[in-house]
Amino acid sequence: MGVRCEACVNLPSANVLIQVAIVGLLTGGVYALMAGGLSLIFGVLRVINIAHGAFLVFGAYLAYWLFRLYGLDPILSILITIPLFFLVGAVVQRTMLSRVRSEPGLFVLVTFALAITLEGIMGALWQSTGRSVRTAYTGEVIKLAVLDFNLRLPVVRIVGFGAAIAVLGFFHTLLLRSNLGRAIRATIQNSTAAQLVGVNVSRVQAVAFGLGLAAVAAGGSIFSLIWTFNAASHEEWISKMLSVIVLGGMGSLPGAFIAALIMGVVESVAAVTMTTYLSPIVFYLVLFLVLIFRPQGLMGTRIREG
Amino acid sequence: MRRNVLRWWPLLAFMVLLAYPWILREPYYHFLGFNMLLYATMATSWNIMGGYTGYKSLGHSAFFGLGAYLVAIAANQLGWNPLLSAPLLAIVVMLVAMALGWIMLRTSGSAFVIATIAMLLIFRLLALNLRDITKGAPGLSQPLPPWPPEFSRMPFFYYMLVWLIVALVISAYVRRSRFGLGLLAIRDDEGKAEMVGVNTTLYKVLAFGLSAYFVAVGGGIWSYFQTHISPVFAFDILVGVDMILMTMLGGLGTLWGPVLGAFILIPASDLILFTFKSQIHLAILGALMLLVILFLPRGILPTLQDWLERRRAPRAAFVGARAMADVLAEQAHAADGVQPVPDERVVAEEAKR
Repeated sequence: MGVRCEACVNLPSANVLIQVAIVGLLTGGVYALMAGGLSLIFGVLRVINIAHGAFLVFGAYLAYWLFRLYGLDPILSILITIPLFFLVGAVVQRTMLSRVRSEPGLFVLVTFALAITLEGIMGALWQSTGRSVRTAYTGEVIKLAVLDFNLRLPVVRIVGFGAAIAVLGFFHTLLLRSNLGRAIRATIQNSTAAQLVGVNVSRVQAVAFGLGLAAVAAGGSIFSLIWTFNAASHEEWISKMLSVIVLGGMGSLPGAFIAALIMGVVESVAAVTMTTYLSPIVFYLVLFLVLIFRPQGLMGTRIREG
Repeated sequence: MRRNVLRWWPLLAFMVLLAYPWILREPYYHFLGFNMLLYATMATSWNIMGGYTGYKSLGHSAFFGLGAYLVAIAANQLGWNPLLSAPLLAIVVMLVAMALGWIMLRTSGSAFVIATIAMLLIFRLLALNLRDITKGAPGLSQPLPPWPPEFSRMPFFYYMLVWLIVALVISAYVRRSRFGLGLLAIRDDEGKAEMVGVNTTLYKVLAFGLSAYFVAVGGGIWSYFQTHISPVFAFDILVGVDMILMTMLGGLGTLWGPVLGAFILIPASDLILFTFKSQIHLAILGALMLLVILFLPRGILPTLQDWLERRRAPRAAFVGARAMADVLAEQAHAADGVQPVPDERVVAEEAKR
């Protein structure tokens, strides 16, 4: 097998690469749902919600307990967590964010403080044991033979991808077809102008924060199906979501979608070609470098300031 | 009379601190005292960037960890005395911070905050993975201090006190210098600061480096104090969060605010940690930070000062007018060193040519 060294990049076979890339795409769909809410919140409120990761893990815990106590499949628990988190989001926006003196950097600190508060509460409630939902189909694999490749795709990833796309479709329709959606998009484009033509911007902001959290609640349910988590996991996941939306261009929802797929694939490939422990560095480096050298990301507005 | 007390209170506080380890002789209090001084120093340092310049870094733990690791590695491999090497190696950290700052300070506001978090995470991941140098997750040990164990913490306490004073002197000096005036101008309006001739990039990079320096010194001394360090504790984001919380609690951008914040928060935090589990402690820390930002955004000292001034206001109307004249004169004097503001019309005309 040649010389072994931890830091070296070892190239796996084409079959493995293709399989890993497809799993990465499926994962990317879930990332799109998780990070989409973050991008929406930034677009409307110009706030980077560091607590998004903590809300994700919180949603995952809710799905976990609904499954453990009532046997409710995490995909179905989405129907409960979405309205709940929507309300929580609207309340958080009204009671906290809208009161903060508008100063760059201060908003981030508020959401960061919210994140560690949530982490502490979750840690106190549910200890540091890693949790994950094990349904009947956990661990099942679908085998596919396409051309010369034998692909093995985990069922949970396919289910997760399907659910994520369905929820994203719902949000997409909401944003494109409803009056509320039009008001939100107008506020993203230019909040002053939106206010001038009669949009109640402060209400739109509360709604957008609620919708952002609703999206991450759905993401959390799916998350509980695929990954293991504990209270401290949010740190790792917020950096992943941040790198997705920064790469996609802050505030741009199509950008977030494309970037999520890209990062899903990049992460899976990095996981088989680099040391597992070092592979998260891909996210951190993307985050760091894109912020500094291409702050507008793939398709978005520049966010070096603000 | 009151005036005199106000003028001499730093000296008074200094005497109290000198006597502290002899009054409270339990080892625990020495530990607590060291932590108070350590965090007061680091918060003072953070304040130069976060308070004076307005760029709030959440990644300062990176410099803390870097200082801690450099000192531990130098002690193990080269046999350097940690107490002497800490301020020396912190210069290396300062240069690293200035290089990184030069890149990161292309951003501002939230983007800057997030870039600093990403920087910290990269350093932590490197500390976990470069096992040849850092020994990975289990961490590094270094030789115990040579003095007898019953005194073990007292030298650390006094050494840290020296560094707190150095940091305060530098911070006070910066605040009054032309450099500090430039930093305050950047905080208030970066575009205008640039227009009146402040080299904003240079100023920000210097301030960032300076604010990393004392954090790195603190990390180096802490590393010897602990004798064993690991990536999780050395590159803990909460170390940086504590610096921010203390500064904001005491008074963002004031000289004494960070010290006051550290002297309140370290004992309070320890008390909470003793009473509750560590997870509740985290929740309380977060909630406290929320409360401070929402309801006391300027911190204790400025709020207190305002309140005192408002109480004294009627009596001081005449004195106030004279003080204002003084301030105006002082400002005019301070502005002597700064290039004059170009008239907009003149600039426009020159641009046409």
